[in-house]
Amino acid sequence: MNRLWSILFGVVMTLAVLAFVIAPAMGWWLPENIGTFYGVDTLFYVILATTGFFFVLTEAILVYNIFAFTDRGEKADYSHGNHRLEMFWTAVPGVLLLLLAILQIRTWEEIKYQTRMPTPDHVFEVSARQFEWRIRYPNAIQLDRITSAWQDKSEPALARNWQQFPHYDDVHVVNEVHTWKDANVRIYLKSKDVLHSFYLPNLRLKQDAVPGKTIPVWFRATRANTIYNEQTREWVDRYNYEKKRFDSSLRYDLACAELCGWGHYKMLGRLFVHPDREDYLNWLKSAQEKQRQTQAQ
Amino acid sequence: MSVHETKVHEEHHELSFIQKYIFSQDHKIIGIQFLFSGLIFLVLGGVLALLVRLQLGWPHADQGWLGQILDWSPAAGQRMSPEQYNTFFTMHATVMIFFVIIPLLTGAFGNFTIPLMIGAPDMAFPKLNMMSYWFMWPGFIIMLLSFSLGVAPGGAAGAGWTSYPTLASIGMPVGGGAESPAAPNSGWGQILWLLSLIFVGVSSMMGSVNYITTIINMRAPGMTLFRMPLTVWGMFITAILQAFALPVLTVALVLQTLDKTISTTFFLPPGVLEFGNWTTNPGGGQPILWQHLFWFYSHPAVYIMILPAMGIVSDVISTFSRKPLFGYRPMVYAICGIAGLGFIVWGHHMFQSGMDPRLGTGFMIATIMIALPSAVKTFNWLGTTWRGNLHLTTAMLNALGFVALFVIGGLSGLFMAATPVDVFIHDTYFIVAHIHYVLFMSSLFGIFAGIYYWFPKMFGRLMNETAGKVHFFLTFIFGNMTFYPMHLVGAAGLRRRIFDPTMTGFESNVQFLNQFMSVSAFLLGAAQLIFAVNFFYSLFWGKEAGRNPWRSNTLEWTTPSPPPHGNFEVTPVVYHGPYEYSVPGMEDDHVMQTRKLEGVPVGAGH
Repeated sequence: MNRLWSILFGVVMTLAVLAFVIAPAMGWWLPENIGTFYGVDTLFYVILATTGFFFVLTEAILVYNIFAFTDRGEKADYSHGNHRLEMFWTAVPGVLLLLLAILQIRTWEEIKYQTRMPTPDHVFEVSARQFEWRIRYPNAIQLDRITSAWQDKSEPALARNWQQFPHYDDVHVVNEVHTWKDANVRIYLKSKDVLHSFYLPNLRLKQDAVPGKTIPVWFRATRANTIYNEQTREWVDRYNYEKKRFDSSLRYDLACAELCGWGHYKMLGRLFVHPDREDYLNWLKSAQEKQRQTQAQ
Repeated sequence: MSVHETKVHEEHHELSFIQKYIFSQDHKIIGIQFLFSGLIFLVLGGVLALLVRLQLGWPHADQGWLGQILDWSPAAGQRMSPEQYNTFFTMHATVMIFFVIIPLLTGAFGNFTIPLMIGAPDMAFPKLNMMSYWFMWPGFIIMLLSFSLGVAPGGAAGAGWTSYPTLASIGMPVGGGAESPAAPNSGWGQILWLLSLIFVGVSSMMGSVNYITTIINMRAPGMTLFRMPLTVWGMFITAILQAFALPVLTVALVLQTLDKTISTTFFLPPGVLEFGNWTTNPGGGQPILWQHLFWFYSHPAVYIMILPAMGIVSDVISTFSRKPLFGYRPMVYAICGIAGLGFIVWGHHMFQSGMDPRLGTGFMIATIMIALPSAVKTFNWLGTTWRGNLHLTTAMLNALGFVALFVIGGLSGLFMAATPVDVFIHDTYFIVAHIHYVLFMSSLFGIFAGIYYWFPKMFGRLMNETAGKVHFFLTFIFGNMTFYPMHLVGAAGLRRRIFDPTMTGFESNVQFLNQFMSVSAFLLGAAQLIFAVNFFYSLFWGKEAGRNPWRSNTLEWTTPSPPPHGNFEVTPVVYHGPYEYSVPGMEDDHVMQTRKLEGVPVGAGH
């Protein structure tokens, strides 16, 4: 009778495996990756496969032991262990874990090491505060100067200068990150008050914003979702260029991932990926025009 | 005076009620005191968790009569406000970690088992032991007071149990009082939170010094280090971890208290911070410094919350498998390995913090390697049950539950340890799933195993097995239903610590699972009533246990249940290790550690 407890363990652990099988179909899974950090997803699946194997192995042995050796009616084996077995199950997972660790290093460097970040096509500053993202874009001429100087000498002095000394004709936008398809973006990430975290799930990107520090962040978005609406004269996201219609799954959220106070949950923004640089510059011009009008009033 | 003192000493066994049960110096009573206060706070922590789940499942719903009670601020309507929500999850974690899990494992089981299992009459420093318990009380009272709006007008602390600056640490300009410009509940609530934890830290410190001394100095004749039960090993290494790591947290707490009260700037950066209409003076510190100090303690604290449970589970599994523990020495080395590596992995909490990414690489390798001793322990538990003769008592079921679920918690840790994957799942529900599999599904199952196992020794009566098994069955099922889907919503990117999970596209996709987890959590909470009833019923009307109801080997089972003051009638002499079950050629399948065997080759190697 007592050995039936193995069923409880067996059923729950089988359901645990099944949950991961059905989750992607139910939409409870990694959101669409529109960035270049494919490594994050690949490594997630590598670890999932490795841990999945050891999960099934250990739980199966446990369930079997409960089933086979409960109330056996004879004395248990008298054994204090097995030296060779210990060596085996120390060495094999040890080597596997070390390999798993080494496997991670390249992708990590690609995402976070400043020296590995590509020369940018697009530069802007994100300044987090309770509870919004204030974004400062260089105007078209400024952007051109910054990026071409960087490309010529691979020397970001001009960008750094722009970041430290804001220009009167910079374009200020709240909660809207604008870039264009396939542009290498470099962000200067800051915080004005408390810790925040710049989180773009669709780009597999997350970086805390720390008051007192300016942290470089980079990404490249490879799928456009933004189009100019002639009627409202506004740029709108969620546009599917392949199917030529709006699609709510193409909404790319920007969220704050580090607790920053009561409004943390609603410190949100959107990522607008324009189809090309020209479209982006059109938007920039219109945003600049809007800003001028507001200032004039 | 001296006459009077001598008299008291002679009347060892006729202490007044207060000396015997309240300001007691008997390690067993102190252990039971820790047990009761821990279980009471478990109720508080659990209710806070259910409030969090209520909000996450139905973020816009009218909360009825509960909403009317929670309706502190008129702006929010008849429901909890975002500030209250922040307070609830902050206090849930604080209470569970500092008032429940650590005191239950080290305070309750450490105090109760260590002297009994090593054959000592009491702790090395009984008065210090008493102080260790009573230093918890100022902590308890201060933390509970912070819930009172009269004491902390902005509400109890709500900056997360991690209390990261500058949200937690920022103070008002001169003349602005003790409230915080960053969050209403980072004012007095945060100051009281800090003070409370300083008391708790001092308490743990006194406990750990006592445990280390007792284990080193007071073992019975023949009780060599490698004849100690693994529970004692777990407690020993835990105490060492606490002794080395806790001072760092205490210092950090003091520094933040100074930042908040007398405007020091340990965690305020050099630049000027803007809060609404006013700006701070430039500081000279770093917010990230807090994270280093905090995690230097709080990561080892994770092992403080699991190593004793691992020890308990090892003892329970060996006893009820009627089989010697598989690989005793590798098990001990694994505990030491976890503790050693535990000191150099704290940075994995900070991969996205703005710390130099090269440091991240180093911390990642150390963190991934710490899975190795955990794996070794799991394999050895499986080895112990292999070809055993399993007796599925409630204690054993909880111990097996620990093994089954610790595997999940251990393996999910690898995802966060891997720096690139952590970029995505950091601060999502994936980490919430991981920590609850380790701390709820593992540590708490270890605690339940320990309670069912030692209850007869503590109170002389057995807990009801049928009720215990129903409790285990429901906790196992509802626990998994509550915490397992957190992996999936975490993979979908759902952020932790948010008041409303339906505001973004990627998060509203999983709202169904949020409701599913909330319903499961309520059922899980309700199932614990069975435990409470069983506990109190058995306390008075349980079956009498006798000395050794489980036919176990270790020294505590040679004493009467409950053991008298002073524990042992005569000092026990130990002849072999603690796990001599099913020795061939013997009729009985267990051999007490005090029993000398002639001609039987017992316990090869130890």
